[in-house]
Amino acid sequence: MIEALFEGLTLVLQWKPLAFMMLGIVLGFWVGLLPGLGGATTLALMLPFIYAMQPVEAFAFLLGMHAVVATTGDITSVLFGVPGEAASAATILDGHAMAKKGEAGRALGAALASSLVGAIVGAFALALAIPMVRPLVLTFGSPELFMLAIVGIAFIASLSAPGVRGMVRGFLSGGLGLLCATVGQDPQAGIARYTFDSLYLWGGLDLVPVLVGIFAIPEIVDLAIRRTSIAGTLPAGRVSKGALEGVKDTFRHFWLTIRCSLIGTFIGIMPGMGGAVAQWMAYGHATQSARNAEERKGFGAGDVRGVLGPGAANNSKEGGSLIPTVAFGVPGSTAMAILLGGFFLLGLVPGPDMLTKHLPVTFSMVWTIVIANVVTVIACFLFLDHLARVTTVRGTVLIPVILVLIFIGSYTSNNHYGDILLTLVFGGIGYLMVVAGWPRAPFVLGLVLGKIAENYLYISVARYDAAWLTRPVVLVLIAIALAVIFWPLVQRRRRAAHA
Amino acid sequence: MHSKASLALALGVMAVSGYAVVAAWFWPWKAALFPLVIGIPLFMLSAAEAAWVLFGKTERGVVQDFQIARDVPEREVVRRSAAAVAWIVGFFAGIVLFGFALAVPLFVFLYLKLQAKEGWIFSAAFTAGVWAFFYGLFDRLLHLPFPAGWALSWLS
Repeated sequence: MIEALFEGLTLVLQWKPLAFMMLGIVLGFWVGLLPGLGGATTLALMLPFIYAMQPVEAFAFLLGMHAVVATTGDITSVLFGVPGEAASAATILDGHAMAKKGEAGRALGAALASSLVGAIVGAFALALAIPMVRPLVLTFGSPELFMLAIVGIAFIASLSAPGVRGMVRGFLSGGLGLLCATVGQDPQAGIARYTFDSLYLWGGLDLVPVLVGIFAIPEIVDLAIRRTSIAGTLPAGRVSKGALEGVKDTFRHFWLTIRCSLIGTFIGIMPGMGGAVAQWMAYGHATQSARNAEERKGFGAGDVRGVLGPGAANNSKEGGSLIPTVAFGVPGSTAMAILLGGFFLLGLVPGPDMLTKHLPVTFSMVWTIVIANVVTVIACFLFLDHLARVTTVRGTVLIPVILVLIFIGSYTSNNHYGDILLTLVFGGIGYLMVVAGWPRAPFVLGLVLGKIAENYLYISVARYDAAWLTRPVVLVLIAIALAVIFWPLVQRRRRAAHA
Repeated sequence: MHSKASLALALGVMAVSGYAVVAAWFWPWKAALFPLVIGIPLFMLSAAEAAWVLFGKTERGVVQDFQIARDVPEREVVRRSAAAVAWIVGFFAGIVLFGFALAVPLFVFLYLKLQAKEGWIFSAAFTAGVWAFFYGLFDRLLHLPFPAGWALSWLS
């Protein structure tokens, strides 16, 4: 195994795979920065180019590109409050809040360093877990995966606002997200649900226009109201400083970064869960790591831990989602499903062969993820000063540029005006939510998980009737969901009793 | 302002979830299961939130999110928000009518000149830069299909 590990490294470091990897990194860098252009779409576009490549070259190119999209997606989230990728939306809450406080450099430093740690953890998890992961994946059937989705929503809903009232609003927000996910043709009976005879809505609400609207439009309106730069009236010199502080933060909260990386890896392994879920779960965990209510208040207002958690999980999930793809041919996400197509184009069959005959190729993927992230983080640090300075540019000059990017980003999801309309509608809802003090995070998680949760619920009920509720892992997950909901209330009552 | 917004949202969610439940009631159970499982508790929770706003004590709590321009007077917030929304909707209308290729430079220039009160030279140069980026990257390099816009299609 050790021999194969080093053989994988040697394979990647040959000039041709390395050159293809660099090309992939450059493409992934820009795709991540541009809102709306998804990593999965770019993977699909690049797939025809791998026909003439050797397997190691092809994976260096595709994975090199895919591995950095999440890292650079965090940059637009921090600087403009616009998610570069659907999977980098959670970074906005604290990352952009830090940019507004004049700590863009620190937020970017933290996002990049935690991304690197996450990528390395994910890659090593991929290397170590392959022989052990089979029983874990097989333990999780549809009932367990449905409950895992519910635990995720309970987790984020109960933690994103304090008190019973905050929790009600959290669940309202999450429930609204789940309900929005039911729009479109239902996968079981083929009924067009809530489509109002519009063909556009048959495919459901596309995630990118909704996310861009709900996060970016309120930020634009806020910037227009404040009439300052993103970093407000802070002196320009402070903004670009602190990147090193962000790196130090990663090591100051090293165990949090590692835990969030492991959460990302775990979610990545679970088929269909995806990067957006991993980020929000990690954000929820980071919030939970606050020792008291006072500390928790800082989340959403620019706590660096709110950047570290999502940053780490977003990148570690790549290694995680490769595990079921390589070992069983079960893709963990859309991007992995496209990558699976790459396997077949190259004449490789995922499964036991990838763990025996082609083990060096498998390890070359591990190394690609690590090297691509190291290169990207170094490149980003070289330009960090310039990137962070954007937050000192006058808001009135930035607004038209960001709006152009927002509209193009949402339009390119389906090349339909409906995408922009969706962005505007959800922009209005997002603005109202911010004004009303409703958390937006549970809504996004609900929307992301809705379709998956519905599928798993339907299969669970159709296959087991009500008996699915008595499965041991389901019972454990129900207990966790209840604990997540009631624990903050018990803590609050205890504190009140002590006071 | 936040309690009014919360009431508006709660009533909106009540209406949406109420409609969702009524519509789902007539579907086969396969299609109705999930909307009902979500819609019924959502209706009850939103009714509770609306009642809370109307009859309960005002409690904001600290949500983990940013707050819209806290240091700007409320009347000014409403006025500036309305202006921002008008620009955003106007840009959308421009795209639908004239297509991206025309609406992008038109919007950027007008925003810089009328809203940001920038000079002619800066506005023109900045607009040219944004247009070159848009045209070079999205049109020439990525070949994204941007339609011409309704007004231009009608004219041609």
